[in-house]
Amino acid sequence: MRRILVFVLFASLLTVVSGIGAAEEQIVLRVSWWGSQGRHDRTLAVIDLFEAKYPHIKIEPEFAGWDNYWERIAAQAAGRNLPDVFQQDMQYLSLYGNRGMLLDLGPYVESGAIDTTYISESELAGGMLNGKLLAINLGSNAMVGIYDPELFAQAGIEPPGPEWTWEDYIELGRIVVDKLGIHWATQFPGNFFHAFHHVLRQNGYPFYAPDGTGLGWKDDKLLEEFFRLELQLYKEGLFASPALRDEVSSVEQDLLVTRQAATAWAWSNQIVAMSLAANRPLGLITLPKAKDQVKEGLYIKPSMFFSVAESSPHKDAAVLFIDFFTNDVEANKILMAERGVPISSKVREALQPYLTDVQIQMFEYLDLVSQHSSPIDPPEPAGHPEVNRLLDDLQSMVLHEVIAPAEAARTFRQEATRILRSK
Amino acid sequence: MKILRSDHFAGYVFIAPWLFGFLAVTIAPIVISLYFSFTKYDILSAPQWVGLMNYETMFKYDYLFPQSLKVTFTYAFTSVPLRLLFALFLAVLLSQDRKGVGAYRTIFYVPSVFGGSVAVAVMWRQLFGINGALNSILTSVGAIDRSVGWLTEPKTAIWTLVALAVWQFGSPMLIFLAGLKQVPYSLYESAMIDGASSWQRFFRITLPMISPIIFFNFLVQIINGFMMFTQALIITNGGPFNRTLLYVLYVYRKAFTDYSMGYASALAWVMLVIVGVLTAVIFKTSSYWVYYESKGE
Repeated sequence: MRRILVFVLFASLLTVVSGIGAAEEQIVLRVSWWGSQGRHDRTLAVIDLFEAKYPHIKIEPEFAGWDNYWERIAAQAAGRNLPDVFQQDMQYLSLYGNRGMLLDLGPYVESGAIDTTYISESELAGGMLNGKLLAINLGSNAMVGIYDPELFAQAGIEPPGPEWTWEDYIELGRIVVDKLGIHWATQFPGNFFHAFHHVLRQNGYPFYAPDGTGLGWKDDKLLEEFFRLELQLYKEGLFASPALRDEVSSVEQDLLVTRQAATAWAWSNQIVAMSLAANRPLGLITLPKAKDQVKEGLYIKPSMFFSVAESSPHKDAAVLFIDFFTNDVEANKILMAERGVPISSKVREALQPYLTDVQIQMFEYLDLVSQHSSPIDPPEPAGHPEVNRLLDDLQSMVLHEVIAPAEAARTFRQEATRILRSK
Repeated sequence: MKILRSDHFAGYVFIAPWLFGFLAVTIAPIVISLYFSFTKYDILSAPQWVGLMNYETMFKYDYLFPQSLKVTFTYAFTSVPLRLLFALFLAVLLSQDRKGVGAYRTIFYVPSVFGGSVAVAVMWRQLFGINGALNSILTSVGAIDRSVGWLTEPKTAIWTLVALAVWQFGSPMLIFLAGLKQVPYSLYESAMIDGASSWQRFFRITLPMISPIIFFNFLVQIINGFMMFTQALIITNGGPFNRTLLYVLYVYRKAFTDYSMGYASALAWVMLVIVGVLTAVIFKTSSYWVYYESKGE
């Protein structure tokens, strides 16, 4: 209801404004994003600020939830009617980028139209595809382990440091199950895909081959062992049953929040929501390392981006808006890191005095991760959502013991390769 | 000018809006989807002609295609007979002249009005959830000792959808009711004089007399069953591991989450053929079990 109201008010406002401004040469810029009500309110306020500063640009906002957003973007792309600026996600970057629908922002960074004085190159790397900068990172994220300090104390265990290993992970889990009779975690940190991706990275492999037409690792044993480990940990009670796990559909139902598990995982910008749901202090830990690992499994990831459509008639205005969104301190005081930790060090510093305790935790966690991480892999190929679902189905079948780990690993390679080649 | 004055012309003018809608909104997309089914089309770029590749993939490699067919056939051929049995049972009860029978008919029809809605689907999810009402009831009477995830257990998930379908028995029930009223009372009277029991009267008179109605209901409901989508999307979304992946859900997934519009179109066309063949088969068998009083000379 509130959303509709805001929209109606905004629409009527726009009509009034457009009536007044019609005499001058005005640029109308369409900006689109997905998110929740909180994000809509903040983004709309920043748009007001932008319009006040640049009266010759009028912004037409379009916003929705995640699912509707991508269906709409697909329809707009098919109709050659993409918004000038639209929020972008890692898993859709190559889909749109490889079809020449996104503007290369590299030249704008070189010319200084997007000011990168306070932005390190690694913060921009996530938006690179085939040597082109197709999207600007709106905030940094990393996978984070979350634990309940109270439950840890009850079990008599110390929170682990960043050097902990998978062996420690299992050992601590067994103690929790033994002493408290609750689960250690709902499942592997990051669901199955991200957890396995983490392990692959620790072994030195990317998930996908660089050209996106196959898998990036060769030995099926890696996946087989990981399937087997998950099954074993579930049988020992460390992980929740697949039936219970699949029932969790919101933060409020998370087993950590309901005290049925001692740990959980999230993307770092989600911990604000999770501690709100838990309503008690929660601790953050990095994901376990592997013994003799080749490289760090953790990586810092752009939570989301802004892309500019190649078809946009107002590319300069679009770039101006992205620069404002990224570098303007006043704008970021409104946004308050809701899309992840800002990439500009100047903005980060300016926000410090205004951060809540949980946000400080999030900022500090990202600092910690920057010392225990390796560079992110290239964006996933277009077939990723399908491959991810396949992996999810197979691990579920392994846990229900309708397929053996070895066969599941073989099936995964066969089917995933077929999906990737068909794209 | 002659044309303008003819009656046919006026007729065409009157149906023109409908005709336009039918051609533009129904026929055109169907024809275009046939074309798409021979292409690789990701919505974002122009379709590329690939000949029979989509069909080849479907029949040779795609394990989800037989899986979704299996789920859909299981669903349609369990939910429809159960729903019809239930509808017939209640229709027989309600066809008797009792006090307040009209009120009952209305009440029993209510689930059919609501059943297709998103709200009911959400309610169903709550009901069968691991912390849902069904588990509370069953544990309190001691039928089960541990909560069951009805929607997430591979063995039970599909049955929650079947249960929802059976619950929406209202429209076949009404049609049965109308049919039961048509059976001439004189047949029952003479049977009673001959000493036929109520079971005999039901099986020898009622069932044959309403068999055309059973046939009609069965056909319509089976076709509907194959089209099941909304509730499946909301309640289980195909899970656990595709045990509830109904065919239309799979088509939707291919088209709108995997952006494989060409493949989805091919799936849809195969579905059309399957439903067509199935309908023909049901029609053929009807001569063995459907009784028509007049042969419609």
